[in-house]
Amino acid sequence: MALKRINKELQDMSKDPPAGCSAGPVGDDLFHWQATIMGPPDSPYQGGVFFLTIHFPTDYPFKPPKVSFTTRIYHPNINSNGSICLDILRSQWSPALTISKVLLSICSLLTDPNPEDPLVPEIARLYKTDRDKYARLARDWTQKYAM
Amino acid sequence: MSSEFKYDPEVNYDEATMAQQRQIEKEVATKQQLIGPQEDLSQLEMEFAEDAVYFQKTKCLQKKYSHMRRTRGDGNCFYRAFCFAYFETLLHNRTEYDRFKDIAARSKEMLLSLGFPQFTLEDFHDVFMEVLEKVGSQCALDDLLDTFNDQGHSDYLVVYLRLLVSGHLQKEDEFYSNFVEGGRSVQEFCSQEVEPMGKESDHIHISALTAATGVSIQVEYLDRGSDDSVIGHVFPEGTTPQIYLLYKPGHYDILYK
Repeated sequence: MALKRINKELQDMSKDPPAGCSAGPVGDDLFHWQATIMGPPDSPYQGGVFFLTIHFPTDYPFKPPKVSFTTRIYHPNINSNGSICLDILRSQWSPALTISKVLLSICSLLTDPNPEDPLVPEIARLYKTDRDKYARLARDWTQKYAM
Repeated sequence: MSSEFKYDPEVNYDEATMAQQRQIEKEVATKQQLIGPQEDLSQLEMEFAEDAVYFQKTKCLQKKYSHMRRTRGDGNCFYRAFCFAYFETLLHNRTEYDRFKDIAARSKEMLLSLGFPQFTLEDFHDVFMEVLEKVGSQCALDDLLDTFNDQGHSDYLVVYLRLLVSGHLQKEDEFYSNFVEGGRSVQEFCSQEVEPMGKESDHIHISALTAATGVSIQVEYLDRGSDDSVIGHVFPEGTTPQIYLLYKPGHYDILYK
């Protein structure tokens, strides 16, 4: 059932791709995708192109896909391994959600970090106490790793 | 000996938690089928031979019911128990089948109008209707049991019922907001406690599912309450129950008269 669903998502993705995002299988393995997210305008990630990997579990969509950044990014909810702290990728995953929705949620997370539930406490602290410095570092990292 | 916990930002603790959860799920899966065979209710009495309170209460339960069917404790047991027990009754009740089929067919539009993503919703709805068709063709009980024990199909049914509950709660949002705890909106409650698989069900879920489907159920609560009796609660109140569930703290099984 997982394969049928993943195929449908692939069709949906090419028919109606979410703004600023793209995704598709890496090779013949439909359970392994690569995605890109364009740094959202009005965020310090603007102009950057961020790569992500997506692994679908065999019991997808009952379990969430594993999504992580391969491009380094300076963000309170994304660590240096590319792990993303996002509720819908964990306890709030719903089988009615799709990769397209997940990518859009990640875009929102780039625009609006969630410092109350950080994966990298130092960045969250900086985000809360010195927003300008956070934005400068995020821009620097974007230039260095995502352009 | 546990050493003092030190937070490491390089470690994704959520993932460790999820891996552990998977391990527990696997263990539970080897011990209990999604929907088990019908067994004599006296089996339950044996289970509680060492526990005076529960023993007495199962005695009392046996005055009202003769058999039970166990379900897997995976957090989806309420939906699965409900769905199987109800579909089982539909095998022999054409009038009720026709009524429900109409409701189920129309429910898709209701959910779409609430903004659920079309293609995933259709996917779950299609499988739900497929299984319902099978029930309508009066398939053998074993056939239905096989469908419910096939994880993929079975979980599709669970998802659709979860979406129905979520849809109903959101549609009647003004009413249900009185029962949502923790200062959350109904929509937040739905995305945290209804739509994700494995989230357990409470009164509010039961009340929404019975209202959305028009199916009446009686839940017998087997807990450590003071007297010897088992308290039964009918949803919606004042209706004639079509199916019976047994609640033990954290879990639902199916009961038969």
